[in-house]
Amino acid sequence: MKHTVLMTGATGAMGGPLLKTLRSSGTIGRIYVLARHNAPELRASNAEVLRADLSTLDICPTDVTAILHAAADTRFSAPLDTARATNLEGTRCLLRFAKRCPHLKQLVFLSTVHVAGRRAGPVLETELDHEAGFVNAYEQSKYEAEQLLRSRMGALPIAVYRLSTILGDSRTGEVGKPGGIHQALRFFYHSLAPMIPGRPDSPVDLIALDYAVAAVAHLFCQGFVAGRTLHICGGRETLPLAELLDLTYTCFLRDRPAWRKRAIEKPAVVDLATFDLFARSVEQIGDSSLRQRSPNSSTIPVARKR
Amino acid sequence: MNSDHDQHSIGISAIEYALPEHCMALQELAVAGRLDSPAERLGEFGFEKIHVSTEPAETLAWQAVEKLMRNYAVAAGSVSAILYAGAIPSSHLIGGTTEAFLNGFNYPVARLQYEFGLLNATVAGISQVGCLGLMTAVKWASDFLVANPEARSVLCVSADVFPPQAKREMIYNVISDGACALLVERGAGTNRIVAQRQITKGYYWDSIGRQNEIVAAYFPTARHIVSDTLAAAGIESGDLAWIIPHNVSLRSWEILLGLLGLPREKLFSDNIATKGHVIAADNFINLKDATDNGRFRRGDKLLLFNFGFGANWGCLILEH
Repeated sequence: MKHTVLMTGATGAMGGPLLKTLRSSGTIGRIYVLARHNAPELRASNAEVLRADLSTLDICPTDVTAILHAAADTRFSAPLDTARATNLEGTRCLLRFAKRCPHLKQLVFLSTVHVAGRRAGPVLETELDHEAGFVNAYEQSKYEAEQLLRSRMGALPIAVYRLSTILGDSRTGEVGKPGGIHQALRFFYHSLAPMIPGRPDSPVDLIALDYAVAAVAHLFCQGFVAGRTLHICGGRETLPLAELLDLTYTCFLRDRPAWRKRAIEKPAVVDLATFDLFARSVEQIGDSSLRQRSPNSSTIPVARKR
Repeated sequence: MNSDHDQHSIGISAIEYALPEHCMALQELAVAGRLDSPAERLGEFGFEKIHVSTEPAETLAWQAVEKLMRNYAVAAGSVSAILYAGAIPSSHLIGGTTEAFLNGFNYPVARLQYEFGLLNATVAGISQVGCLGLMTAVKWASDFLVANPEARSVLCVSADVFPPQAKREMIYNVISDGACALLVERGAGTNRIVAQRQITKGYYWDSIGRQNEIVAAYFPTARHIVSDTLAAAGIESGDLAWIIPHNVSLRSWEILLGLLGLPREKLFSDNIATKGHVIAADNFINLKDATDNGRFRRGDKLLLFNFGFGANWGCLILEH
């Protein structure tokens, strides 16, 4: 029997291609998608667009058998209250809705491997709780949403798929929504990235959008197991930081001939103490020295904070 | 050991410098409106005071050369060339600026050649490399001696004096006026030049417009050139006995040492607080003071690193 799916986040960088893939999988019947705004890109998807958000969702859910919760506020810079409003409270609303679905067979929550926050070393799929802290509110709010979901796993058929950082489409190079990694590459390109904290062999786990979409679609359509948490990440194929910088440098040289003559250096990989000292120095002095800037100066500020 | 000038044994055999007596503490500079940042903050970057001259650059240059010729008993006829470095344009003109067109050819280097009777010396000025002028002069002097086997020594001089009332803070550092003179000599008994490298990155020519980019490029390029120079010298960073810095803030050195994996104890930092950034002369003033204070042992490997707007990075390894 084909699923009737309720999907959130279908207009997002991940949700858009995922909706398309689900539609073409042959295993999905009806799809409802939630959209708070008029979303013309959804018209071609043959999905039934519900103009609502999670807090006001009042459709009759009797035919929904599967939920895919892809909506998220992924901004690293969002304050905690804002991040929680979407990532935690939105999930709470969805769980209330799910309880009203009598035929629900599966609820999939798209999370992030960054719920591990500042933890170091191997992080298992079975693990969640830690006291290592978080780099930003996004990480923390997704962590809290996972805690909430874990507390309901006994009552609802829930699975969590933790995605790694998505770089772009491996076939076309297209980037749907630039994120922190793209900003870092942009700083490198514009000679604004002096140093990166880490070790040359620090793994930088990145995945392609098409890989992530295919993995989630496969697991959602054919591999769902209630109560499981899975990592969708580069794993053993992850590049070390130094190699990633080398490859990026090679690509800039190859694809942008004009960049070569700028003779821009690769960012230095430094320990955290050195990086923090540099960041603090720029904070302390940077503004006053910038007062002398000329009209033709770049508008891109030196990266100040991770 | 593989090095650039092994067979010629060229080194820096004599150094003298001239700093104006008048000093201004950070607080005085702040009150006079000559800082952009709070004085306390620049104190955190390692500065206390700077030297401020009421004399023009050529006078300080003369004083430094006079001391060098006298203290080291340099025979006037033994000097084959004079290289005169100034970071700011007015340092290359006697009187600083002039309205009469022909006065624009009144070069301090020619006057030095005349007044000290260096009749065998040809002369040239080095500009447009910012604070790397004197290190550039050392490189060219060394190359000159390699190319001219009959030549014995080259006098290198740098002198800069900021205009009256000019701001003294410039991107993380506080600037002193001053001059330095040194002798690059064949068969020098000390400070043998083992390897020297320079990198120019013209993309950063606009020092204000590309200020952020320069700050970002500074550290990775510094690491690059230090690494290249060590490789040219055939030594590892652990073989270095001392780092002889420019005085562009102690903070910048703490960061750079972190990048280079070198311990703070190897940095000769005595002069940063009290002498400030003496434009092109820092490294060599520090080299002299560390020598006079008995910091070095014979055979010590010394690394000198400097940066000049333009943008230029330079690194020099000496064997004491």
